[in-house]
Amino acid sequence: MATRIRPLQRRPHARGPEPRTFAAAALAALVLGLLPLAAVAAPPFGAGSQDALRTGGPQAALILDLWRLLLAVCGVVFAAVMAAFGVALWRARRGTRDTPPELQGPLRGEPRSARLVAAATGASAVGLCGLIVASVLTDRALARLPLSNALHVELTAHQWWWQARYDDADPSRTFETANELHLPAGRPVLLTLHADDVIHSFWVPNLSGKKDLIPGRTATLALRADVPGRYRGQCAEFCGLQHAGMALEVVVEPDAAYAAWAERQRRPAEPPTDPQAQRGQRLFLAGTCAMCHAIQGTDAAARRAPDLTHLAGRARLAAGTVPNGRAQLAAWIADPAAFKPGTNMPGHRYAPEDLDALVAYLETLR
Amino acid sequence: MCSRCRERCHRPRPPRPALGLALALSLPLALAGCEREARRLELPPSAPLAAPSKAGVLYPGPYASAPVRVTAADPVVRGQRVEENAYAVSQGKRWFRWFNCSGCHAGGGGGDMGPPLSDDRWLYGHELPQVVASILQGRPNGMPAFAGRISEEQAWQLAAYVRSLSGQLRSDVAGGRSDAMGSGEPEQRREREVPRPDAAPPTVR
Amino acid sequence: MPSSFRATIAALTLCRASRFERRAGVETARGRPAHGIALLLTVAAVLSATVHGATGETRVPQASQAASAPADPADGGWPMATRDYANTRYSPLADITPANVATLKPAFSFRTGVKHGHEAAPLVAEGLMFVVTPFPNRLHALDLARPGAPPRWTFDPQPQPLARGVACCDGVNRGAAYDAGRVFITTLDTQVVAVEAQSGRELWRRRLGDISRGETITMAPLVVKGKVLVGNSGGEMGVRGWIAALDAASGRELWRAYSTGPDRDVLIGPSFRPYYAADRGTDLGEKTWPGEAWKTGGGNVWGFLAYDPQLDLLYHGTANPGPWNPEQRPGDNKWTSGVFARRPDTGEAVWFYQWSPHDLYDYDGVNENVLLDLPFDGRRRPVLVHPDRNGYVYVLDRASGQVLSADPFVRITTSTGVDLASGRLKYDPRTEPRAGQTVRNICPHSPGGKDWQPSAWSPRTGLLYIPHQNMCQDTRVYETSYIAGTPFVGAEVKMYTGPGGQRGRLTAWDPVSRRPAWSVEEPFPVWSGALATAGDVVFYGTMDGWFKAVDAKTGRALWRYKTASGIVGQPVSYRGPDGRQYVAVLAGVGGWAGAGVTHQLDARDPTAAKGFAAAMKDLPKPESLEGQLYVFALP
Repeated sequence: MATRIRPLQRRPHARGPEPRTFAAAALAALVLGLLPLAAVAAPPFGAGSQDALRTGGPQAALILDLWRLLLAVCGVVFAAVMAAFGVALWRARRGTRDTPPELQGPLRGEPRSARLVAAATGASAVGLCGLIVASVLTDRALARLPLSNALHVELTAHQWWWQARYDDADPSRTFETANELHLPAGRPVLLTLHADDVIHSFWVPNLSGKKDLIPGRTATLALRADVPGRYRGQCAEFCGLQHAGMALEVVVEPDAAYAAWAERQRRPAEPPTDPQAQRGQRLFLAGTCAMCHAIQGTDAAARRAPDLTHLAGRARLAAGTVPNGRAQLAAWIADPAAFKPGTNMPGHRYAPEDLDALVAYLETLR
Repeated sequence: MCSRCRERCHRPRPPRPALGLALALSLPLALAGCEREARRLELPPSAPLAAPSKAGVLYPGPYASAPVRVTAADPVVRGQRVEENAYAVSQGKRWFRWFNCSGCHAGGGGGDMGPPLSDDRWLYGHELPQVVASILQGRPNGMPAFAGRISEEQAWQLAAYVRSLSGQLRSDVAGGRSDAMGSGEPEQRREREVPRPDAAPPTVR
Repeated sequence: MPSSFRATIAALTLCRASRFERRAGVETARGRPAHGIALLLTVAAVLSATVHGATGETRVPQASQAASAPADPADGGWPMATRDYANTRYSPLADITPANVATLKPAFSFRTGVKHGHEAAPLVAEGLMFVVTPFPNRLHALDLARPGAPPRWTFDPQPQPLARGVACCDGVNRGAAYDAGRVFITTLDTQVVAVEAQSGRELWRRRLGDISRGETITMAPLVVKGKVLVGNSGGEMGVRGWIAALDAASGRELWRAYSTGPDRDVLIGPSFRPYYAADRGTDLGEKTWPGEAWKTGGGNVWGFLAYDPQLDLLYHGTANPGPWNPEQRPGDNKWTSGVFARRPDTGEAVWFYQWSPHDLYDYDGVNENVLLDLPFDGRRRPVLVHPDRNGYVYVLDRASGQVLSADPFVRITTSTGVDLASGRLKYDPRTEPRAGQTVRNICPHSPGGKDWQPSAWSPRTGLLYIPHQNMCQDTRVYETSYIAGTPFVGAEVKMYTGPGGQRGRLTAWDPVSRRPAWSVEEPFPVWSGALATAGDVVFYGTMDGWFKAVDAKTGRALWRYKTASGIVGQPVSYRGPDGRQYVAVLAGVGGWAGAGVTHQLDARDPTAAKGFAAAMKDLPKPESLEGQLYVFALP
């Protein structure tokens, strides 16, 4: 039997799908993978309330412009690369196990392809440089927000809530609130950012980009909200068990409405007149509440939990986790871990009438 | 020879080191996961106050001059006592600062207005239930009573942390280096202080 | 005493005559006319001057004569902790001199049986010596006429032990006050008790504060015009500070002036004329604080009080604002860390000056104000001299509150000076505490260039003898909650020795030339008071138990005696019934500086005792932790 001398065999084609099938499958996976994004739950204040694509101020607008440019350029590049990939796959020669390797290509060279690749590389480089320039210009523009008559707010991030102190040249006009920021429309705001325990990040997409709050360091962020509305922000740096439950609500309102809100915030809590609310206040001050919470106008002046002086005026509780209302407040007080497992607030086994009294008192805190 | 047979025999096996390596690595990781600490994330509610006490003010409650034994059991979470749970002890460290314990006992337990917690002298008992009792009941020379002001689980966590200040806890449970300025050795590196036989509290008369 | 008389007499004879005038002034204050006596004495002084010739004491500035009345009893006693209303702590007794002080020996001693810091000054009046111990604040009356001075009676006010847990800096007491046959003491649990001097019978008692909120009293009261003036402690517990006047006969509270809050609480009314613009306005005690922070704002009145009978002004300092963490209280935080001049009858404020606006370092403003008449710009002015915690020796015009000079007596990195035009302390931003960051090299440390330990003045040398320390610290501030009855501080502190390597100093300061004449270094902070005598000897005690005498002019060490425990008390000198001069001091280490030893703290924690324990861990353990009174005399 004569032995046939086989030509040099390289490894046969790897087992796997055909190139075209592969290309088709990859494209399908890409599309399917992106689908869940569309199913993201809408933020509580309606469509667009936590949306970087619907800007409420100049900082967000600058960032959005840059992002659109990036999207355009990168999209074009992506499309071109995918097209080239698709073409390459489509025109790839089909072969079998016995097909001899294509050795001619590397030896012969492909001047046309080489020119194409060089041109594409050059275009990408130019495009990237352009993006760098655009990015630098955007940074500069972000830093140039005029700050005359700026509102000064000191934001301190805790696990897992936001503490805000509105500063004033007259110290007796400063006040504190938590989790819900009110800003005047059209007036620049200078945020001084601190963190109490771990790294957090401030992100209100409608208004501005992200800025980290790092313990031991002070950062500043300037922004201006031009469009009145309610916006939702959230912590954007993993900070522990309830990182996802640390929303910040920003209410942008016209100057007059903001000034009225600020004046209300400056006032200490009125002593309750209703006997049930008075009982609730006694429970508040004598129990665990006053160990962590503060209510201006009472002896409670602790700083480890949100300031409750004007709790009833807020839309949500627990950094956006729970809507504010009588029943929800009672449920939250009884068992906070049901809503925010890992929270530092202990549960309370109050008798029903005591819980009612406490909630009645808290509801007087407008 | 049958060509098909030859092909099969000569078919070079594609090397599959990746799969073997993955198996080899994942097995120890899976075994290590068995010791993962359980955390009780909810703080169970404590008993309500019978009646609102003097509002807004801490004051030492009824006391006993001898060490007191507390009958409530050490909360056990999935077989782990609070002193074996690093999360519980770190929460205790949090309460130590939050409730101003560090104001009287200093950040590292060295003492100030209140006696030191990091040494071997225990006025009212060194065992965990006794420390819990001291915290909840208050003591005659100025230790405030925290019953009704913090939950019992918080008190247990706090007591476990207090014991870690004198090195009573295992080093994988006690805290590491603080972010604070530096209040002495981290708790996990402290030598265990052997508690002296319970001495009488300072006499006044 | 008409000043025209004084203007015509030579300074030396003035010095001699003034001693007689002060004695005459006692009678003046009690209503008996003394002008004739003064004229007679002046003539006698002129005659004596021409006979003896004046010497170089012409330039020596005088303690304000009026201010030193009526506290110079003829028997050379010591009726109040400061000896006189001017806070001079100057004994006119001259038996003990640099020549013979080396022979000083213990005459008798008395064990108090109490542990902890004995900061009191033993008082001497009516032939009895009155000693108040730290908690439980027992008042002993020692019979000086009998050999060995045994106690004639002991009064036990029985304060509540709960108060011990809220005393920031050891349960000390700085002394009693004697007036018209009664002795007045304060107790740690905020009581004021009056007892009959000869018998120890309780006359009345009043509780003025609430220990469950962290309030205590440690200061030595002052009796002015039949009113007992007391102030509270508790700035580290968020206690709002006040000073109150009780009727000496009945104990009824006559007025109480707070240090923060609206003008009606601070007793600021139409008489209020502060010198500097920053202190003028309505309700600044509220407006210079955020929200209601003034309610827990501190400003306690725990230092020594001074009184000028001529101007009828009571001078008292206010302590630090609460909490120590300044970021929780933006604003100037009036009226803390400052000095008030008030009318003792009504308590209304006449002027105020803030040593440390928006204090950043726990620089209490309660240090003593020594009332003197000093030459300034060519004329004599009634001034007060005040070595402050912030490291400056201030000279203020005590009629108006104007700052005449402010000069550092220790190394200072927290400020760069005092702007005399605005009166404002100029902080150095590099050492400003910031939340979450450790700021280092803060000099002087929180106890200051000088803490409570009082200085003494000698009109003979014209020097103020300041016992103090030389230490620095690192600070880290953080947010702290106010929980009534618990500390409200928000700062961690680590202390260490300042430049030069010695933690303590006794500095002899010349307030006219505004610099130190000499200074003695000590290994430990000099936490005791100073005593100056007419014999030109200055006494002070050290924390490792040495009671020392130095030459008033040069600071040369003359004599020392080792006591059984560190000395943090105020030395006094008196003339005993046998006519000899005695020097008495309480030994018994404690106070903030000695807390590490007396409370047996763990110095491995550098933040124990707010930093002091570790900084003093080389303090030798005393022979005895219990207090002991030592009384010395020439053989």
